[in-house]
Amino acid sequence: MFHPKKPSSMTSHERPMCVQGDSGLVLTTDPKPRLRWTVELHERFVDAVTQLGGPDKATPKTIMRVMGVKGLTLYHLKSHLQKFRLGKQPHKDFNDHSMKDGMRASSLDLQRNNASSSGMMGRSMNDGNNAHITDAIRMQIEVNRRLHEQLEVQRHLQLRIEAHGKYMQTILEKACQTVLAGDGSGSYTKSTATAPEFIQTLSFPSLQDLNIYGSSEHLENLHHQNMERESFFPVSDNFLGKKRSVQYTNPSSSKSPVIWADDLRLQELGPTEDQIGPLSIDRGSDIDSVSDIYETKPMLSGGHDKKYDQAKMDRPSPPRRTAAISAGGMQQGRSSPFG
Amino acid sequence: MAMVMDLCFPSFESFDYTTTTTTSSTDEGCNWSDWSPVVDWNEISDDQEDFQDLIDSMIDENVVFHQSIRTINDDDQVNEEEYNNSSPEYNMAMHDEAGSAEDSKGLRLIHLLMAAAEAMAGRDECRGLARVILVRLKELVSPTDGTNMERLATYFGDALQASLDAGAKGRPAPGAAEHQRADVLAAFQLLQDMSPYVKFGHFTANQAILEAVANDRRVHIVDYDIMEGIQWASLMQALVSRKDGPPAPHLRITAISRSGTGRRSFGTVQETGRRLTAFAASIGQPFSFHQCRLDADETFRPASLKLVRGEALVFNCMLHLPHFSHRAPDSITSFLSGAGTLNPRLITLVEEEMAPPSEGGFVGRFMDLLHHFSTVYDSLEVGFPMQSRARALVERVFLGPRIMESVARIYRGREAEEGCSWGKWLGAVGFRPVSISFANHCQAKLLLGLYNDGYGVEELTTNKLVLGWKSRRLLSASIWTSQDCDL
Repeated sequence: MFHPKKPSSMTSHERPMCVQGDSGLVLTTDPKPRLRWTVELHERFVDAVTQLGGPDKATPKTIMRVMGVKGLTLYHLKSHLQKFRLGKQPHKDFNDHSMKDGMRASSLDLQRNNASSSGMMGRSMNDGNNAHITDAIRMQIEVNRRLHEQLEVQRHLQLRIEAHGKYMQTILEKACQTVLAGDGSGSYTKSTATAPEFIQTLSFPSLQDLNIYGSSEHLENLHHQNMERESFFPVSDNFLGKKRSVQYTNPSSSKSPVIWADDLRLQELGPTEDQIGPLSIDRGSDIDSVSDIYETKPMLSGGHDKKYDQAKMDRPSPPRRTAAISAGGMQQGRSSPFG
Repeated sequence: MAMVMDLCFPSFESFDYTTTTTTSSTDEGCNWSDWSPVVDWNEISDDQEDFQDLIDSMIDENVVFHQSIRTINDDDQVNEEEYNNSSPEYNMAMHDEAGSAEDSKGLRLIHLLMAAAEAMAGRDECRGLARVILVRLKELVSPTDGTNMERLATYFGDALQASLDAGAKGRPAPGAAEHQRADVLAAFQLLQDMSPYVKFGHFTANQAILEAVANDRRVHIVDYDIMEGIQWASLMQALVSRKDGPPAPHLRITAISRSGTGRRSFGTVQETGRRLTAFAASIGQPFSFHQCRLDADETFRPASLKLVRGEALVFNCMLHLPHFSHRAPDSITSFLSGAGTLNPRLITLVEEEMAPPSEGGFVGRFMDLLHHFSTVYDSLEVGFPMQSRARALVERVFLGPRIMESVARIYRGREAEEGCSWGKWLGAVGFRPVSISFANHCQAKLLLGLYNDGYGVEELTTNKLVLGWKSRRLLSASIWTSQDCDL
């Protein structure tokens, strides 16, 4: 299975946990054992950081790799690295990080000690109860930042999928027009009598994704125009809300879930604005998974007596058998795999 | 039923036939015993031409096979590997008649395909057998009905057939004929709806581009294979709505176009350009579109690009998306090395993630391909179990021809092609990897969350995201920059 390699991602940050003593790390003897940044450990840390190009270029992950100390977690390194960075930049504006005074105090400590040996720095970092608080605060800030970022990403993703869908729509419309115009000259189609019909059915509702995020009225009308042999119902935005616990703020116009049906029906030629087709309003239903949207549901629209298969058959057998088949010569008595 | 091909077959007992364990090898022709995974030919048939009964028995439900998969090299060394299956489910399935009919049929199809592939990898004399096997295979399957495995077997069978007919003389297998545009569009839309492959590639690349050009006023993207240009719709939207940096930078896209028919023609690219321009206008994105025509040999010449001073140059290379067809490696090489000479800000690369080529020769690679495509089929089916006709269309229009091409390619057996991925190649020639940002990774995860749970994304290296289905990696997106460029 996949394990996204983001140990520092949304999952909870541990409090500084016990470290195995046999890895060479020193633990304090408090009720809550914490890692003690000894001189040697800190030296190795500094070496690793300089090797990676300085405290700004180095990341906890890379430092961990370079140091190669067993039992050292990313969390240790993250907090240590942040302190280190602050220590290196005495002019940095602390307010940016909205740190509490405790943290500031330890940073000032760092500054003062920076000139002296790193051993003193190591010592000062372990000072006092401030460390507990600042660690907790830092953890919280980190989590908040990630959450915020993730929400941003979600929002952008929504917009991008919409754009994607709209563009796709323009492609289909263009193709539709081209074929309906009957010239077929611009494109490389061979329009046959039934092909336009088929193309009509292509301008089927926008993608499921588009509809998950809510579509404009205009696009919905496009949906309604033609049910393709398998058509979509846009999912009401409650659906995703329930599944993903994310609220999409979309103007909720009349949306009807689109269902992906296995029956192949063709509508008559010509877009009809009011031909709703097999839409059942399924608002508020708690659909559990994306695939549920595409359950087969009975098509409610009537008057379709042409099945897709038949339509396919009606099309003149295209001369485009793959050369493989014709060359093989072994497919005489069987249905062509290519329709 | 999703047929998961793990190449872990239960070890069966064979009833009527002994299994071959001889490793005798003869130089003068194909010794049937050498390569058959199933039966001891010498024992069974004196007349080597008549295999009908034999194959019938292979297909017969009561006969189960001993699993030993062997590969043949030219020096007649026979390597025998046994695949042991420790999964209790499989054994149970075999014993349970009710559920096993499909499984066993699927397995039989795999055996037939394997046998055919082995026959083809062997001496010329074996080709007759291969043809016979393929005929029988065809009778069992059809491309529109049946389980995943059956449909898959059809295409692979056809692909083998085509390669067989094209011969090993190096004549390229005939390319898939053009489908009607209606079909192509329908299949494309369906593909995007049913699977995240296309969007994953596009969005990951776009996010990387956005981050790289955050502070630029002019952006120039050179697209290797623009197709319908759908990737750029979301990029334009993102550029228009970006908050930091200069708002709505001027976007210039140069599409590489080559002579060809249908989707690859000059005409299509022009059409795409018009469409993109219209779309950009509709959202207020400053935009211009150019084409860069390649000659017949499809070599990219950097000099033919028009560059503007001060623009951020990005090369976008989408290969192997399901709806793409295979490009000649020379062409890709020339594109990427040409890119290198221009010191682009970014190179985005999306390609198939294939397992490293096994030592199995043609058969090994063939089985790997089979595994790869069966995973793709599974991923489509699990998401949309009821819409078999839609899936059949996608398979017919896109996946089938891809299978055809890929099999032909590995049959022609050019080792160099299978060697390394393009990503590795980029690393080797000196491009620097660019880390995938948290936002990018997060976006990919969210995107996949819209589809089925079986999809997963992992960050293989710092600059590469890999999309996979269950435990099989399928598609990778990686980002690179040229060495002299500071991001």
